[in-house]
Amino acid sequence: MGGKVTCTLGEVKQRADFIVYWGGNPAECHPRHFTKYTIMQKSKFLPRGRKDRTMVLVDIRETKSAKAADIFLQVKPGKDFELITILRALIKDQHVGDEQIAETGMTRAGLDDLVHRMKSCKFGVFFFGMGLSMTRGKHMNSAALLTLAAEMNAFTKFVAMPMRGHGNVTGADVIMRWQTGYPFGITFNRGYPRYNPGEFSTVDVLVRGDCDAAFIIGADPGATMPQPAIDHLARIPTICLDPHVTHTSRLARVHITTAAQGISAPGTAYRMDELPLPLKPALKSPYPSDEEVVRRINEAIAKKPFWLPDGSQPQVVTAIG
Amino acid sequence: MLKITGGKVYDPANEINGQIKDLCIDDNGRFVESVSGGRTIDATGMIIFPGGVDVHTHVAGGAMNFARAMTPEDHRRTQAFIRTQSRRSGLGGMAPTTFATGYLYAGMGFTTVNEAAVPVLSARHTHEELADIPIVDKATLTLMANNEIMLDQMQAGEYERAKNVVAWYLWAAKSYGVKAVNPGGVAAWKWGSDAKQLNDPIAGYSSLTPGKIVTMLATICDDLQLPHPMHLHCNNLGAPGNISTTLDTLKHLEGHRAHIAHSQYHAYGGDDWDTMCSATSQLAEYFNTHPNITTDAGAVLFGDTVTITADGPWQHLLYKLTGRKWGNLDVENETGCGIVPYTYRPSNLVNAVQWASGLELMLLIKSPWQVFLSTDHPNGGCFWRYPEIIQLLMCADFRKECIAKLPDKIKNRITLPEIDREYTLYEVATSMSAGPARALGLHQKGNLGIGCDADLVIYEEEIDIARMFSHPRYVIKAGEIVIEDGDIRETPHGREFLVKPSYAPETDEFMRPLFEDCYTMQFDNYPVEIERIENPDVRILPGS
Amino acid sequence: MPITLYLKQAPAVPLETEVLSPDVISQLSNTEIRKLTVYHGKRQVPLEEFFDVDGEHSDELIIHGDLNKVRWIGRAMSKGSITVHGKVGMHLGAYMKGGRIEVHGDASDWIGAEMKNGFIHVHGNAGGQIGAAYRGSLAGMKNGTIIVDGSAGLEVGMRMRRGTIVLGGIARDFTGLQMKGGTIILMSGAEIRTGAWMNRGTIISLKPLQMMPTFAYASDFNPMFLNVYAKQLKTYGVTLPYAASAGTYQRFAGDLSVPGKGEILVWQPA
Repeated sequence: MGGKVTCTLGEVKQRADFIVYWGGNPAECHPRHFTKYTIMQKSKFLPRGRKDRTMVLVDIRETKSAKAADIFLQVKPGKDFELITILRALIKDQHVGDEQIAETGMTRAGLDDLVHRMKSCKFGVFFFGMGLSMTRGKHMNSAALLTLAAEMNAFTKFVAMPMRGHGNVTGADVIMRWQTGYPFGITFNRGYPRYNPGEFSTVDVLVRGDCDAAFIIGADPGATMPQPAIDHLARIPTICLDPHVTHTSRLARVHITTAAQGISAPGTAYRMDELPLPLKPALKSPYPSDEEVVRRINEAIAKKPFWLPDGSQPQVVTAIG
Repeated sequence: MLKITGGKVYDPANEINGQIKDLCIDDNGRFVESVSGGRTIDATGMIIFPGGVDVHTHVAGGAMNFARAMTPEDHRRTQAFIRTQSRRSGLGGMAPTTFATGYLYAGMGFTTVNEAAVPVLSARHTHEELADIPIVDKATLTLMANNEIMLDQMQAGEYERAKNVVAWYLWAAKSYGVKAVNPGGVAAWKWGSDAKQLNDPIAGYSSLTPGKIVTMLATICDDLQLPHPMHLHCNNLGAPGNISTTLDTLKHLEGHRAHIAHSQYHAYGGDDWDTMCSATSQLAEYFNTHPNITTDAGAVLFGDTVTITADGPWQHLLYKLTGRKWGNLDVENETGCGIVPYTYRPSNLVNAVQWASGLELMLLIKSPWQVFLSTDHPNGGCFWRYPEIIQLLMCADFRKECIAKLPDKIKNRITLPEIDREYTLYEVATSMSAGPARALGLHQKGNLGIGCDADLVIYEEEIDIARMFSHPRYVIKAGEIVIEDGDIRETPHGREFLVKPSYAPETDEFMRPLFEDCYTMQFDNYPVEIERIENPDVRILPGS
Repeated sequence: MPITLYLKQAPAVPLETEVLSPDVISQLSNTEIRKLTVYHGKRQVPLEEFFDVDGEHSDELIIHGDLNKVRWIGRAMSKGSITVHGKVGMHLGAYMKGGRIEVHGDASDWIGAEMKNGFIHVHGNAGGQIGAAYRGSLAGMKNGTIIVDGSAGLEVGMRMRRGTIVLGGIARDFTGLQMKGGTIILMSGAEIRTGAWMNRGTIISLKPLQMMPTFAYASDFNPMFLNVYAKQLKTYGVTLPYAASAGTYQRFAGDLSVPGKGEILVWQPA
């Protein structure tokens, strides 16, 4: 049933002779990606660098990244899932009709060539961006590409990786996993972690109005979320930790100014491939770090009576749902 | 201060076998001759063991964390620890969360664990996770046998350089020792192939063979005087007929110390999956004549688990066999890992052979100082199921009942039905505590002698062995009562053991250009700062 | 005499009430029922804080009110019945093993998720993930029947292994996603990606569907098994055409990407 087959970026730098960017525009959104990790690097195994590598870009329009690509495939909007599913069939020598292929904006010759290149490369990689993961189909679009990469390993080495951004979102994901077992979409209302994206993910909770307070750290949902979610944030007591004035801080009841991570506060950031990198602050800040604020809030809360009477709960229960 | 009186003490390190003995603990959490004042526990009629030591487990780091993300279906049905004012919440199961890992280990009397597979590149992450595992003391082993910078030195015949590189990496990772996984095979996996024969050159190298890596790395570990010898996951894991690879590997270790990890997975006869059988008697025979080598069982228990190993090629095979989920993460220059959820079934002949083989090794290797309790958590089963294995080791009748449930075709493939040996409590204490502590070179652990760490577990004697070992009456860690009557009382922070080996000062500058060539982070950001380790316990090795 | 519950006040945040199940309640007195613990957010409160309770000692439950934020009603129930008059929140009848649930109103997501058996009838609209597998699980509903008169959301019947889902209204994307068996009947068709990645099982649509490119047209036919199905469904008030005189089914096989042996039957009226 597929899975996730991935690697650290150094593996791509060292080995990847076939690089596909899908639904992303690294030239403008991750400008150092080409030069630091992918097509421009020379390595022990790919001594001629760019000449030893093939880059394919799949997107709904010809972005600046297309110039860097050897092959640009323009997929029709909303047809990514169909196209990836066709590829899953084609690599297994299943027949797909010309008409069906044409509906995705591709030609049979183009896909035959792509499949041939995918199978004959030594180390292939898919990088996928929000053009894939945030369009209709969402998590299933990502799942499709991850599954295709996993299945390609029947023929050659292949991996896939999301092009994540926005500060330390990967770090949050990593730490939530080790502390709770789940990456996001978690509730603690029963005293232990439970998970259900769509039910407990922030945007869904806010849109449905399922929470009566909000604590926002390292994000600006007031700028990015749908209006009903923003309306609910404005309705309930919202606390915002941010070095800057943001859309969220403006609608929050409380805005605590904090030091900027990595600039004036130390810590660890997790890169998109989940490698932990130490942050060494270059400047001093008069403001406390996020960590310090959270720790002090925690200490203050610890002085209040606990929300469950002591001994009223068993130490261990069988999880439900 | 604490005094424990009247208990039957099993302390193999001091050859105490069930004698009644009082134990005294001072305020520094160590055993002393006598104390005045403080609490006294009357342990009359109870059994006292040194706290358990897990020589080989996977509890933290990138691979485990990957496994957690991949198994929400298991988290949903497992034990959930409820948050209290003093305790964090968590989930048990196949891939427990960090806080739960500490509670579960302590809950069955284990006080020291060795995380056996850490890539240097994500060591910072592993240490951050370990800081969130409460109660137990921890050590980590660094994955070395597929590190390309080291392999290049070995290929070039530069032994001293290779040794300096290993020492440099160990300190960079703030680790306790060297782990070798499928030497050369993971490097080959990065090209989609594997290394199965010890004497064939590995993919990408002209003359370097897995056998040479094994010998050289074992020599390096000895020369660096690491407290724990090379910890080796042999080539050809899990494959029918791999006993020949394993015995061949052991030949490459003649004259060296070594610890062979989860040997159950390396002790199979037969030619293919249809003819696969146990070859544990051959392997046990080797151990019985070579006291320089220790091992842990890597026993398998029937049920659901998730397999995690740096052995990428094996995991791809397992994914193809199961058709379930597959996670894989290759780590630049160093290693890789694969994750596949798996269910061991008694009705499956291969699984039945695996189940029997793990027990056979524990029973056929005569000295419990050489073979230790492990499931290679979570690969063969979850660590919190160790009491089930102890029951199987201690009760031949129970074992026979279990064998009777296996398919008929199992006959002639295993030797377990012919083995009548039953572990004594003394042997169990050796295999789950004193033995692994000694193999790890942790002399203050698994030992109830004066001056040692006051980690111990007190059981009420019960007929039901599995219950007895899974429900200690008290667990004491560094002199503090952490478990009492099945309740978690305290959740102190444990220590982390690490070594500082010596290496030539120019190694830094030698590494820098090689590093910048193949890594994607700043050289200066790579070593884990000692300040990032919570409660480090650093052993400075000779020469540095 | 059934037990009747009336919602007194709408919960401010979701209320988790897996205790509203005949398995929990049938042996209890009225007082005991009132004292059952429900979770209002993180607060544990007695059921009576939100519900008036009439009756006792029965495995028939009738619940009145806008239960939009009330989740997990009928979780893992194995017997008896629950009738809801009003809207109902997520996870209705999830993991259920038997008995009946009827909703006179709309339901939310995850109804009958991973159910083993039993019967759920929603007279209004429903949300997504009906009879589905929870995230990461290998299989969704393993048996039983779910009927929704109105429309449904995403991922209906995701990874279902057996059982039947009937939707009167239109379904959104990914109906029958990664289906492993069982039957989904779409009286009004579905949006896109119906049957994506299906392995086995049958999806029947009475309206034209936009097919995934990885489904191959196989044949036109009027399979015998539909007669049996149609008779069975008749008892639930669902009319499935099958007579050759009325039309025929176009059969599509797929999903080739798996490659799977599922089928999608699309009704072509004569």
